Amino acid sequence: MTMRLRSCLSRFLLVVPVLAGCVATADAYSEFQKFVQTRSGRAINCAMCHANSDGPDGAGFGQIGGLSPEEIGRLNQARAAFEPGQAVDSPILNKFGNHIVATIGKTRLLEFRNRPEELAAALGTTSDLDGDGIPDWREYLDGTHPLKKTDGNPWLLFVNNLSRYRFHVIMIVFATVLTIYGLANLLRGSSEVHDATQEPK
Amino acid sequence: MKLSTTIGLVADFVAERFPVTKMNFASMVAKKEVPVHKMSWAYYLGGLTLFFFIVQVVTGLMLLFYYEPTVSDAHASVEYITEYVSGGALVRNVHAWSSSAMILCVIAHLMTTFAMKAFEKPRELVWVSGVILLFLAFGFGFTGYLLPWNQIAVNATKVGLQSIEEVGNYLPGALSELPRILRETIQGEASVGQATLSRFYAIHVVVLPLMVMGLLGAHLFSVQLHGMSKGVDRESRKKEKFFPTFMVKDLTVWGVVFLVLFVVALCLPFESFFAYPLAEPYNPLGSTPEGIKPEWYFFFVYYPLELLPFWLIFLVMNVGAVVLLLVPWIFRGTSRKTLRTIAIAAAVYMVVITVFGQSIYEMLKGQ
Amino acid sequence: MIDSLLFVALPYVAVALCVVASVFRYRSDRYSYSAMSSQFLEHRGLQWGSAPWHVGIILILAGHIAIFLFPRLSASLLSVRPVLLVIEGAGIAFSVLCVAGLLVLITRRLTSARVQAVTSTMDLIVLAVLLVQVVLGIAVAVHYRWGAAWGASTLAPYLRSLVRLQPDSSFVTDMPMLVKVHIVGAWVFIALIPFSRLVHIFSIPLSYLARAPQLVIWSNLRRAERALAMKVAHSRRLFVRGAAATVSGGVLLGAGVLDKLARFFHGPALSDSQQAEVMESRLERIKSTVEQRELELERLKSDFIRIGTLEELDSKKGRYFTDYEMRPALAFRGDDGMPLLISAKCTHLGCTVASDVSDDGKILCPCHISWFDVRTGAPDPGSPARAPLPHLDWVLMNSEGAIVARRMPDGGTAKEEADLAGTSVYIAKRRGEVA
Repeated sequence: MTMRLRSCLSRFLLVVPVLAGCVATADAYSEFQKFVQTRSGRAINCAMCHANSDGPDGAGFGQIGGLSPEEIGRLNQARAAFEPGQAVDSPILNKFGNHIVATIGKTRLLEFRNRPEELAAALGTTSDLDGDGIPDWREYLDGTHPLKKTDGNPWLLFVNNLSRYRFHVIMIVFATVLTIYGLANLLRGSSEVHDATQEPK
Repeated sequence: MKLSTTIGLVADFVAERFPVTKMNFASMVAKKEVPVHKMSWAYYLGGLTLFFFIVQVVTGLMLLFYYEPTVSDAHASVEYITEYVSGGALVRNVHAWSSSAMILCVIAHLMTTFAMKAFEKPRELVWVSGVILLFLAFGFGFTGYLLPWNQIAVNATKVGLQSIEEVGNYLPGALSELPRILRETIQGEASVGQATLSRFYAIHVVVLPLMVMGLLGAHLFSVQLHGMSKGVDRESRKKEKFFPTFMVKDLTVWGVVFLVLFVVALCLPFESFFAYPLAEPYNPLGSTPEGIKPEWYFFFVYYPLELLPFWLIFLVMNVGAVVLLLVPWIFRGTSRKTLRTIAIAAAVYMVVITVFGQSIYEMLKGQ
Repeated sequence: MIDSLLFVALPYVAVALCVVASVFRYRSDRYSYSAMSSQFLEHRGLQWGSAPWHVGIILILAGHIAIFLFPRLSASLLSVRPVLLVIEGAGIAFSVLCVAGLLVLITRRLTSARVQAVTSTMDLIVLAVLLVQVVLGIAVAVHYRWGAAWGASTLAPYLRSLVRLQPDSSFVTDMPMLVKVHIVGAWVFIALIPFSRLVHIFSIPLSYLARAPQLVIWSNLRRAERALAMKVAHSRRLFVRGAAATVSGGVLLGAGVLDKLARFFHGPALSDSQQAEVMESRLERIKSTVEQRELELERLKSDFIRIGTLEELDSKKGRYFTDYEMRPALAFRGDDGMPLLISAKCTHLGCTVASDVSDDGKILCPCHISWFDVRTGAPDPGSPARAPLPHLDWVLMNSEGAIVARRMPDGGTAKEEADLAGTSVYIAKRRGEVA
């Protein structure tokens, strides 16, 4: 009974500010964006952590105004994940956003707003959500997308992919060298035939 | 009488440029020789451009199997290619890298050809067709840029097309409407949208390739016809046979370049060089993200446009294009030394503006 | 018992025999170290038999030796499926080449009278052993796939144990019969080397690759004809070398690329969840296109378009909407509490101006950094944009649809009621456009 009451209450409490205060929450987490932008020198947007690149406010895809009741339920669950280690699946966040909340918890995330540089260390060294070989903390600091394989520090991407595809590279080197060597010999051969047949008998 | 003389002159001109007596295997391939001197490396640039063009045709055809030219599906189909289609990311990346490499080679080819005075009689038409091919290559770049329909593509195209309309400010009276009409004709509607995408797609995939094939055929044919230009003032004593010596070397260069292209395309996504918001699907109702820029090969006109009055750049570019087309006649009497100096100056300008354009811009704008 | 005889004793005997007899033969009859070319007796069959045989067997032996020498490296290489397929494919292709060559050579030995005159029984034995050996190799490759992979972990240790003089036949005792016979055949082959023309293996003609061709020509040809023959022979050599390299390069390239190419054109096989993901994102895009089209239609049909309620407008953060020309525009709340509608299409090159108002009341076009004053629309003096952003006319309507206030074309405001609470902001079609 009390449980249900509480959940009703929390939904009420959450829905009201959402409807009334679109503007108030608009830049709630912009500290992270500003920090990353200054540090990396790259332009980034809300799509690093949010489902919608214009942030969670509005009525579009992945924005609070456009959520179904079921999605609002998930949103509330995510908003209440104050401690780390809870499964989070917020509809306004993308995988990386959810990963942050799940890893460090809402409480510390709110603290990090004043020290956004410390978020990187808190993310841990191993997590690499897009599997491009660059860990998430590094992608966060570099201002590259942690969920896009094709986005990352170019040099690191190159090195990682090179070691990942080293067999392909070795094979293609062999194949190319052989083919070019062969074609060159064929060319030389046909030239000799041509010369031989042209020479006066 | 007068007409017949004109026709006769034209016929003579063409006959001299396309000598029928030389149109045989022996003189075009078997007996052709390539001079050896310190500028010999430049003889490979045209072949390299051809190589990249072939790569573009092959990868472009492959991309056509999946690409859908509509505003709602273009970006989704491109994403589908890169994420789900086997080898799709590689094909697309090769297409992107190779396009840049092709334009780089075209520009280098043009500059070295100029410096070597390879446009001398009877090679005027080779030069002119080459310059038109350069414009077509830029056309490929400009139209192809729009097709992924992402933020940078659409916004950069908007900016590019809008600058046509700028011209209207300098035209008197009724003429001032002309650029706007021209822009709308290219766009197909009032702003960049589905009509623009359809047009650019048609131009990129059908119109330009057809034009290039025709022109490229003539270009290559007349190169073989006239042989390699001597390139330096004193006829070099050392020569190597085109077939097979030079072809084998050319082939080796192609092989090396292919390897480099393959490794780079496999390991280094072209998109990683710009911020990810620019690669998001175009949103007509949202704000334009920061960092909208054309491709690097347009920097030489883009940054001056940002920094200097529009009319000046417009004038310089148009005069430049005309001069470029008329090079064989304007520089007929110029020495190779002077030509080389001009080419080096142009190359320095291109390199500086392409590499340091952004820093120069920021420095001058005081940001 | 029989196993240790065949896989421990036989190898040592074979190698010892091979070494001792070869050395003895070298010392006693040095000039017999040759392949005993019969080219001048018959060259047509030789050309079609010898070349494929040698190309094939050299490459195959090289493959065997590479796997035995570097078992760990090759195991890791062969764990990549395309690589494995390429190696196995090439192996079989070259074995077939060997068999073809051998068959030609055998036919030649048996049919050409000239060659028969110099053919010894040993030659025939050697040919038979080789043929059996290669056919066995193909059989093993076909029946027990993928030999290149398992060979590195079973046969390589066996050989290694032999080399270390701690023979361990347990690696091979459990092997299938075919494999065992192939191994025994290999030892027999080694034992045969010193007693046949196979000794020419030891005079590996490395310089052959670089030097001019050796030709056996009747000496009564004229000089010009001889030169021509030399040239033709040289070009043939180039052709053979070129074809072999091109084909193997092509095979390598093809094996690495063909499956991917086939899958490229076949299209991806997506799981249901992946398919759903693709569908969802596509649907999202189509929806936004539909929205866009609906906006256009609305603008064609209606005289007033609602932007939002007056309360929703803010003085610091603009609300995007689309004007009658389908251009972006921003709605703010002015200092007087009235709506402030301004075009968001930059007058410079048409980018969309950002919606945040700076502290000094300006909005920014991010493309080329033009700041515009929201109240006047005028750009900053140094900005690339020269013309001001135009303000748009608006009307306020109450819930009954009656106009309670409007912006006049001169920029002034006309209020018809004092109470504006609950009213909504609309843009109006220009007078001339109203049908």
